[in-house]
Amino acid sequence: MNLNSDEIKAAIRNKVIELAKALDMDASGVTDDDILPATGLLDSGAILELVVWFEASYDFRIKQEDMNIDNLGSINAMTNFLLSSKQA
Amino acid sequence: MPTFQTVPCVNINDEFVDVVSIDVKQGEFVNSGDVVATVETDKSMIDVVAEQDGYVLRVDCEPGQKIRVGAVMFWLGETRDEAIPEETKDTSSSASAVRQPTAKARAMLKELDIDPTRVPVSGERLSVADIETWLSKGGKPGKAAATTQTANRREDTPAVAGDLQDLSPEAAGMLHTVAWHRDYAASAYLEVEYDPKPWEERAAAYAAEHKLMLSPLLPLMAFRLAELGRERPLINSTIVNGQRFQYTPVNIGFTVQAGSMLYLTVVRDTQDMNAAQFISALGEVQRHAMAHKLPPQEATGATLSFSSMARWNVSRHTPILPPQTALIIAHAAPKNSDKAVLGATYDHRVLTGFDVAQVLLALSRPA
Repeated sequence: MNLNSDEIKAAIRNKVIELAKALDMDASGVTDDDILPATGLLDSGAILELVVWFEASYDFRIKQEDMNIDNLGSINAMTNFLLSSKQA
Repeated sequence: MPTFQTVPCVNINDEFVDVVSIDVKQGEFVNSGDVVATVETDKSMIDVVAEQDGYVLRVDCEPGQKIRVGAVMFWLGETRDEAIPEETKDTSSSASAVRQPTAKARAMLKELDIDPTRVPVSGERLSVADIETWLSKGGKPGKAAATTQTANRREDTPAVAGDLQDLSPEAAGMLHTVAWHRDYAASAYLEVEYDPKPWEERAAAYAAEHKLMLSPLLPLMAFRLAELGRERPLINSTIVNGQRFQYTPVNIGFTVQAGSMLYLTVVRDTQDMNAAQFISALGEVQRHAMAHKLPPQEATGATLSFSSMARWNVSRHTPILPPQTALIIAHAAPKNSDKAVLGATYDHRVLTGFDVAQVLLALSRPA
C-alpha cells in the first residue's frame, strides 16, 4: 500500500470532488486546508461516505471518538491522521 | 454446560444465509466477541462473533453451505471435553431442532402460520414469549398468513405483453413492510410546519463544542424523539392480537440511504443513553450501513423511528410504518425556505391525531 503523503492527499481530493459532484457541487477548487464540513460542498451523508471510503481504501479503522474536525476536518488533517495511525 | 450459538438473522426477509467462512476449529478456545464465522445474503455480509467465552466443541456448518436462520452453528463449552446433549446431536446444519412448543405457543404458531424452526428457543420448550420476542425483532409470519389476503384479491396479469420476475431481497423486504402497514396498521398521517432556526442553532453550537465532523441536527432530533418515547410510552408500543404491546426499551430506527440501498438502522436501548452517547452510537451504526456491514442487532428491533429526506430537498414525505411500530417521524427541510416540516405516519389503533400532534409540537423545538 502506498502511503506517500502527496498521493494520499490527491486521492482524498479526488474522492471529495466525486462526492460533491453527486450533490451537484463543484469541489475542484478545494484546498488541502479547507475545513470540509464548513465548505458546504459535502453534506453529512457525503462526509460519512468519505470516511467509510477512507477506512476501506487505507485498511484502517477510525474510532467513533476520533471522528472530529481535528483529526478528519481537512485533506491535510486526514492525511496526517492516517500516517500517524499507521505509525502507531 | 455446553451452549450453542445459532445462525443470526442478517436481514428480516432472508430465511437462509450462505456460510462464507468458519474461522474456528473444534477444540479451539474463543473469547466473547471473537469473529468465529462470516455469513452473507444477497444483500450484505456480516461477521458472526462468539457470544461468550469457551472451547469450540463442535462446528455444525461449513463454508459454502446455505443454512437457515436460527439453526445451530456451533457448540461452546467450558472445557474441551464437555459432552453435547444427546437429543441435539442430530441437529442438522440446515434446520435447527425444534423443541416441543407449549400448548399456547402451538396455538399461536398455528394462528400466525409461523414455522417453529425459525423461532429461537430460550428454555426447554418453545414458549409464547419466544415467539413474541422473535416477532418483536422483525420475524414475520409464514407464507400462508402473509399471502392470505393477497390470495383473496389475486391480481390479473396485465393484458400488455411482459413477463413475471422474482423480486430482489430488497424489494421483497419493502413488500413485507408495506404489507404489514397495509394489512395490520390503521395508518394515518399528519404534519406540522415549524421554524427550523432553534434546532439549527442548537445543532451548530453542539457541533462547534464537540468539533463534530457530521451535523448533529438529525441525531439530536432523533434523540429528542427517544426522550419523548420515554415520556410518552404509548408512542413506543404496538398492537398484537388485540392487545397493546408496550416495548420496554426505546430502540430508535433511523433511515440511512447507502448508495441505492435504504436501511432502517437501529440504535437499541436509547433509554440508557445521554445525547452524546446516542450521537456516537448512531454515528457508528450509520458507518456500518454505509459500508453495507450492518450486524443484525443494528438492522432489526426498531420500536420508534425517524426518517429525514432533507438531503434530497423534498418538501414532504409520508413514510411507511416499520412493522410492529406505532410511529415514524418524517422530517423535511426544503432549501431556501424558512419553514421545515415534521410529519408522522402513525398507527391509529394505538395513537390518536391529538397524541401525535403533541409529539410533533414537542419535537419541533429543542427541549
